[in-house]
Amino acid sequence: MDLKDKRAIITGGVKGIGHSVVTEMIKEGAIIGVVDKDAHGLNTLRAKNQNIFCIECDITDYHQVEAAVDEFYKEFKKIDVLVNNAGILYSSPLISLTAQGLRKHDVSMWERVIATDLSSVFYMTVNVVEKMMLHRTKGVIVNISSVSASGNIGQSAYSAAKAGINALTATWAKELSALGIRVVAVAPGYSDTESTHQALSKDILKDIVQKVPLRRLGRAEEIADGILHVIKNDFFNGKVFELDGGLIV
Amino acid sequence: MEQKLVELMAELFKIQKEDISDSLTMKDLDTWDSLKHMELIVSIEQTFSIELTFDEIVAMTTVNKIKRVLKEKGLDGNYGFKR
Repeated sequence: MDLKDKRAIITGGVKGIGHSVVTEMIKEGAIIGVVDKDAHGLNTLRAKNQNIFCIECDITDYHQVEAAVDEFYKEFKKIDVLVNNAGILYSSPLISLTAQGLRKHDVSMWERVIATDLSSVFYMTVNVVEKMMLHRTKGVIVNISSVSASGNIGQSAYSAAKAGINALTATWAKELSALGIRVVAVAPGYSDTESTHQALSKDILKDIVQKVPLRRLGRAEEIADGILHVIKNDFFNGKVFELDGGLIV
Repeated sequence: MEQKLVELMAELFKIQKEDISDSLTMKDLDTWDSLKHMELIVSIEQTFSIELTFDEIVAMTTVNKIKRVLKEKGLDGNYGFKR
């Protein structure tokens, strides 16, 4: 797919990997809509580039998502690309050993991570694909997965959500490919982004870097480059593109 | 066109060609569900080298209606080639 004049929605495009995707896609001539709940970040983004269509939305709320997709569609009449990037990273063992005894994984955090990282992908995709079908658009859905999808210590909710994303990617690719809609995933390893630094301590990150054969974290622009690659390559479909510096080999 | 359509539907829905009449509808066949309908649409598009609109796709719920849409697309009744 040539991105020039293509209409794309990116969730969580205000910062981190999402922001790099927005930047790179604009360079390619795409028309961008950013869906994000960070109102201040959206204002900053809009101030930098007035052509970016900014929609404030809590992607864990189905009705807000439906309204956001409708708003973009009403403005641009077509959706060619959806990048399901927004997500939160949360780490906690199933059971923590504390001075006070055993502490169970916070159930509200489990629900929040599943809602943000998995349910939102379903909410966004079902609404965007409806528009693609209405218009018979041969579009692309890109889901941002993670190396954690295969199971990661201390990341029950995050790993489950990302494994769910991989399953949705395969399922939707099988369902939608005949219509010319590709569904792909990109699984970054540990990246040098604000959310990674917020979720993991310096010591843990240092340990992780030692396990990466390239001995460094991925850069947001490198992940964005991989995302653009799977959008552009029309034969890449139903698969997860792993970008982890060789962490899992 | 009709012969090709019947062959295509018989193969897709795993039924005999003789069982396909103009009055056959989606409701008559368990195998003609929403997913199979999309497969049918894609097969029709590929076989007859046409592109169907969303409105046409949702209208094509009987053999008769499929034939009507194909005829409106300029396909003749015998060979499946565009005029």
